[in-house]
Amino acid sequence: MRFGIVVLLLFLIGACASTDTIAVHPEMLAVKADTVPVNELSAIIDPYRDSLKGEMDRIVGYSPMNLIASRPSSALMNWAADAVFADQTRTVRLSTPTFCLLNKGGIRSTINKGNITYGDVFKLMPFDNQIVWVKLPIECIKDIETFIRATGGEPIANAHIEKGKLLINGMRNDATHFWVITSDYLMNGGDKATFFSKQIEVNRTGRLVRDALMSEIELVGTISADSTVRISF
Amino acid sequence: MDRRSFLGTGFLVTGGVLFTPTLLAAENSKRLKKVTILHTNDTHSNIDPFPDNHAKFPGMGGVEKRMMLIEKIRSEEEQVLLLDSGDIFQGTPYFNKYKGVLEMKCMSVMGYDAATMGNHDFDAGMEGFLKATEHADFSFLCANYDFADTLLNKKTQATKVFKRGGVKIGVFGVGVELKGLVPDTIFGKTQYLDPIKVANECALELKKEGCDLIICLSHLGYEYADAQISDKVLAANSEHIHVILGGHTHTFLAEPTQVKNRAGNTVLINQTGWGGVHLGRLDFYVDDQLFAKKEMVVVQ
Repeated sequence: MRFGIVVLLLFLIGACASTDTIAVHPEMLAVKADTVPVNELSAIIDPYRDSLKGEMDRIVGYSPMNLIASRPSSALMNWAADAVFADQTRTVRLSTPTFCLLNKGGIRSTINKGNITYGDVFKLMPFDNQIVWVKLPIECIKDIETFIRATGGEPIANAHIEKGKLLINGMRNDATHFWVITSDYLMNGGDKATFFSKQIEVNRTGRLVRDALMSEIELVGTISADSTVRISF
Repeated sequence: MDRRSFLGTGFLVTGGVLFTPTLLAAENSKRLKKVTILHTNDTHSNIDPFPDNHAKFPGMGGVEKRMMLIEKIRSEEEQVLLLDSGDIFQGTPYFNKYKGVLEMKCMSVMGYDAATMGNHDFDAGMEGFLKATEHADFSFLCANYDFADTLLNKKTQATKVFKRGGVKIGVFGVGVELKGLVPDTIFGKTQYLDPIKVANECALELKKEGCDLIICLSHLGYEYADAQISDKVLAANSEHIHVILGGHTHTFLAEPTQVKNRAGNTVLINQTGWGGVHLGRLDFYVDDQLFAKKEMVVVQ
């Protein structure tokens, strides 16, 4: 085959000497082998590999049940939103209606009955999304209702959706704005959460969503998830 | 007349008649220079192979396997250039934990010559990127991110010229708009420059420097339904670029896409999917006697 290429190339170049040619032979190679080879890289990787394995296998907590993410709301979705809300508001006195909105798509795994490892939390939330507080005008309530109706349900905390209406705990009739504790991914319009462009103010915490989940698990030891259906249309 | 079909027809008629094997060997050594370009994109911290029970890529990838493949090719080919189109970072706990240091060490040992930055290569912050790249002995090429007012000032370069067996290869990098993909607290005062304009300027500069082959490392993405600038759009609006090695959209191309540029010449676009599951290989045969190369012909 290689010989054939050379024949063709020589012809191409010979035949069109007046019009300059570069010939290309492309090939897409699969990176696979029956066993992982040991080479110069292995010695470099092994210390990281071993240390990571030790760290990822570290037990951070316990779950008495299997938790899955499913719409419109589920115990895992409720737990994740509750954990982020608790992490963010434990030492804060809320003077304005505030709720937590995450995205189901960001929850990439399940929590299984039994021990929860550090690595499990990475599988649950591999992205380094950061927690942000976004202040929105009260008319955005409608946009959020439309958004959640369209997706079929997202993790929420300190609020529920009843027959499509978003009811935030502590909401008053004269409120002109409210805060959403969410991820920078959603705030940047991820999952088409375009209503965040109406933001009045943003507080970036710099804290990873994953770190908040991790520390909530470590804080309580045995997690308990609320399985109440928080969203109805 | 379509140039490719003209050549194809011509070959069928006369190709076998003109050359004998002996003549070929002589001709080959005298006139043809061969350069092998190897490339990856969106490897996303996949140091280890995908697990054996992986739904899509069971047991595939892993840097040790990639290195084995690269070493084999290096043992067979004299002139090799190894490139990456960005998103080296993020995707496995190796990144979360070690912030890209291991990725840089591995790429340096594999002998990477250059890479461009993907949006996820900002995920450890500019500071994290700088720390990790202390372990990189290859260059980062970013032509359309103006880092002048940032930590990355002078830490990347727009273009780089490599010489491989008498062939002069010009390489530059272009990246995707960071707003919306990377927190603005991280990209800070980076100025995003029009990738098409910048790419054409780089390619022209490299051509003037006498490069035989001009390669664009791109993290723009292969194609979009809307007006966002992609590799396909860049290719069609370019001049002097021979190849765009792409990334960002995790597109797997079984063979390179051919696009006509604004001068009517062929530009190749290639992308290897993601996760280090594939290694792209392009063998270029450049004729010694012709310098200002214009047209490329893909030989299967």
